[in-house]
Amino acid sequence: MRDRTTDPDAEARADARSVFEVGRVIGGTYEIRALLGAGGMGEVYEAHDRTLNRRVALKVVRPSIADDYLLREGRALAAIRHPGIVTVHAMGREDDVPFLVLERVQGLSLDRMIEERRARGEPFGIGEALDLLVACADALAVVHRAGLAHRDVKPANVMLAPGGRVVLMDFGLVLPDADRAGRRTVAGSLHYMAPEALTGDVAEGAMHLVDVYALGVLAYELLTGADAFEESDPPALYRAKTRAIPRASDRRPDVPAPLDALVSQMMAPDAHDRPQGAEAVLWQLRTLRTRHAAGGQPRPFSVLVVDDDPDVREALALYVRSAAPDADIEVTGDGRQAVRSVRRRVPDLLLLDLDLPDINGIEVCMLLRGMQLGDACMIVSVSGRATRADVELLQQLGVRSLEKGPALATELVQLVQRMRPGR
Amino acid sequence: MSQGPDPATLALMAEARAQFAAALTAKATTLVEILGRRAWDDARRAAHRLRGSAGTYGFAEVGAAAASLEEGLLEAGGAPSPEVVARLEALAREVQAAADRAAGAAP
Repeated sequence: MRDRTTDPDAEARADARSVFEVGRVIGGTYEIRALLGAGGMGEVYEAHDRTLNRRVALKVVRPSIADDYLLREGRALAAIRHPGIVTVHAMGREDDVPFLVLERVQGLSLDRMIEERRARGEPFGIGEALDLLVACADALAVVHRAGLAHRDVKPANVMLAPGGRVVLMDFGLVLPDADRAGRRTVAGSLHYMAPEALTGDVAEGAMHLVDVYALGVLAYELLTGADAFEESDPPALYRAKTRAIPRASDRRPDVPAPLDALVSQMMAPDAHDRPQGAEAVLWQLRTLRTRHAAGGQPRPFSVLVVDDDPDVREALALYVRSAAPDADIEVTGDGRQAVRSVRRRVPDLLLLDLDLPDINGIEVCMLLRGMQLGDACMIVSVSGRATRADVELLQQLGVRSLEKGPALATELVQLVQRMRPGR
Repeated sequence: MSQGPDPATLALMAEARAQFAAALTAKATTLVEILGRRAWDDARRAAHRLRGSAGTYGFAEVGAAAASLEEGLLEAGGAPSPEVVARLEALAREVQAAADRAAGAAP
């Protein structure tokens, strides 16, 4: 595995000494106990929080790194709360050195785990790999829903903690997806960087697709135990990434075809050809995991259409069937009935009108999320009058929005096609 | 990779769209009638449905006219003044006209 993170200031760093020595008390509270790791960007220590009597991780960046680096990371982490994302406790400054106090996640990093498995000649089982990938995609989907791009997804930044917890770490390069300057900045870990990230040519609003690419490389390595690309210098690596898409099944024939196709699609050289976000990847991985658990037997693609207008229900069913002729489609015009239906059987896709006569679509989403019934299904609101506030709330609930308009048929057909790779 | 519907599906969609277009004038007429009865909430719901279904089938002009009427009814509340009623009726006529044009133009 290759995991060194690069950034624009990397060449400027000369100070190799530790920023804080063991035993020193930072901010009057955090006693440095050990250096956990040092990289190009900075250092992470284990520290003891004397006030709350707990172990924490304390992160500093090297003096040559811009001050806003840690602040950006701290604020991004503060905006997200999820078991798959490392928690930020505090931020401070000691001798003019900014530091970030983070949850101390005990465990083994995924790159170490992959190395160990490779050394022992014991590849991850398909089910085991799917569990890990679902957890990674779940965490990344939360980041994307917050309007952020991680930009340094790689096995070394995924921690496997006790209790099966999988935690996405190191948000040092995180940026808002819409950041204009960031998409022109070459930053990340070369081996995991998408071609457009290697050349600093990420399209506006498409930084999250760089994460999807990196997750694809991670998935390839997890499944095969091998590097997706052999090249190491950037020009050769760029050529390799744009010349051919690696297929995990070439190294490991027992990788199921749909999973193989998904992993390759995530590594598509053109960002438009990748799944359009971690949420879409997550959904597909969950479906594949369910299918794998059922012995590999695909179940019919199931869709629940909820709209109080029969004309709309008919149109939506038609559009879905055009992309999935064998789809099992159920329709209802009633929000309560929709909830009952999902409780009975969770569909793969739920198309939901927001303005329903009894309980509205947002309430349906909240009910489903509250009951954790909608987790395994992709919920898409299809509305004619969703406000910006509605769309933002729906995003927080992990719900994608489509507008009832001329583009709906094409958008829905493409969505269903993306959800059914290899079927 | 993702792509649009195949030709057979497009033909099926065109047929469904034509069927919907054939019913558009009647839907708009019903909407005008409901408004004429001063059943404001029913009218708002009918406008909302027409807005959604017309948009879904790709009749953008009808959808936009129905949306204006729906928004007007939402703003008007339960007891609109005569001036507001006159404006709503004008909006309903625009819906009717747009529906007639769409029905006439549809293949």
